[in-house]
Amino acid sequence: MNPTTLTIIIPSLALGTTLTFISSHWLLIWMGLEINTLAIIPMMTRQHHPRAVEATTKYFIIQATASAMLLFASVTNAWTSGQWNLTELLNPTSATLTTTALALKIGLAPLHFWLPEVLQGLDLITGLILSTWQKLAPFAVFLQLHSILNPNLLMLLGVLSTIIGGWGGLNQTQLRKILAYSSIANMGWMITILHYAPHLTLLNLTLYIIMTLTTFILFTMFNSTKINSIASSSSKSPLLSIITLMTLMSLGGLPPLSGFMPKWLILQEMTKQDLIIPATIMAIMALLSLFFYLRLCYATTLTMSPKPLNMSSSWRTKTTYPNTLMTTSASISTMLLPLTPTILTLMM
Amino acid sequence: MVYFMFVMMIGLILGLMAVASNPSPYYAALGLVMAAGMGCGLMVGYGGSFLSLVLFLIYLGGMLVVFVYTAALAAEPYPETWGDWSVLLYVGIYLMSVIFVGKYFMVNWYDMNWVGVEEISGLDMVRGDFGGVALLYSCGGWMLLLGGWVLLLALFVVLELTRGLSWGALRVVN
Repeated sequence: MNPTTLTIIIPSLALGTTLTFISSHWLLIWMGLEINTLAIIPMMTRQHHPRAVEATTKYFIIQATASAMLLFASVTNAWTSGQWNLTELLNPTSATLTTTALALKIGLAPLHFWLPEVLQGLDLITGLILSTWQKLAPFAVFLQLHSILNPNLLMLLGVLSTIIGGWGGLNQTQLRKILAYSSIANMGWMITILHYAPHLTLLNLTLYIIMTLTTFILFTMFNSTKINSIASSSSKSPLLSIITLMTLMSLGGLPPLSGFMPKWLILQEMTKQDLIIPATIMAIMALLSLFFYLRLCYATTLTMSPKPLNMSSSWRTKTTYPNTLMTTSASISTMLLPLTPTILTLMM
Repeated sequence: MVYFMFVMMIGLILGLMAVASNPSPYYAALGLVMAAGMGCGLMVGYGGSFLSLVLFLIYLGGMLVVFVYTAALAAEPYPETWGDWSVLLYVGIYLMSVIFVGKYFMVNWYDMNWVGVEEISGLDMVRGDFGGVALLYSCGGWMLLLGGWVLLLALFVVLELTRGLSWGALRVVN
């Protein structure tokens, strides 16, 4: 992309998220979210073909609607309570509207319909920024409002998201749509525990971002966007396909990988709060997510797709690009489970 | 005065319904004109004359005019509007929503009282709307810079989206 444009877009993305993080005035929070929406638009149309432009249009309209709902909620709150401070109690209408607006922003069910199509229209790196960076600012608002929002609505959004994230991802062959449904399911886990233990939401968000970062970078390294093309990855680089296996199993939440940490702690907290039925539903729906991760691992690492014999091993030439980011994030996303008490203390 | 406010409010809601229900951008822009005009009249009635004049000038006279010119480039010979039953269905739904919200979400839909701009903070020298704008330039210094940056960002985003005549993101169709 044009370096001048990139010099404007990337600091604006940083500015928007930072503004939402540091503000206590509702108008500034809204401004930060709008700056994020605006700044990512040119990046999404980086590939100038119509599918990317359509995805950008859908994304812009959805995010603008969500921002308008958030502004409406904060203005009605200012009208009824006379102040714009974030940390003061919201009246119930504003609280519900804020929750719905932020749920639309991050793609929680039943407001998730835009996420698979938008993510499918983008290239992998822009999809990465959409899935990770753009989730930070809404969650900053959620974490600051965790005690004020309606717990029933949060629980409903969360459980529905795990159900739809699990079931929706089952029929997908495109990797970006699989990651979209994975995002929906993980956001569901995060939102469920928000009212009771917000530090677990933060923990889940951090680990989700690192695991998704790893997955997207691995898919970029394989240069594949569907299961068909990633099936031949074991001939390109067997080590990378093993790392893919580990990372995908971590995303699915299998012990002893670090993806188990948030699910375990969230289920433990839910049983302590006597939320047995939602906990059971979410644990079972996580199995559905695990199924499509496992199918991806099966195609990538555990089986060799039919190919001519001379394809089974290629030259292992030295890589020209620095892969520090992938290696560190892959290590973190698979080997962090023994450090659970330390990380919990960090997130408190 | 009460009837003046009444007409303004009805006109505002009607204009918003026109914007939301019309599939053609011409009639939707007409609804926008009506909504903005009535909203400005409403603000004038409660003392916010400065904001109302600025809205007329910038919103209606600047942004809406540009939108109407660009919408005129995408010409549609037989636009659908309130004469067709499909559009009237939407208007009916919005009307029902207004009545529903008015009945169930407001305590007394007939008895609400607004604070005029002169009474916002007792003993001030400047009025509510005008003083707020001045505050942006004095105490809200960094926010002014932020506002300026966001405007520039919007400009750069639009420029980047339309860059490249026939190979860009938004393409010139010959």
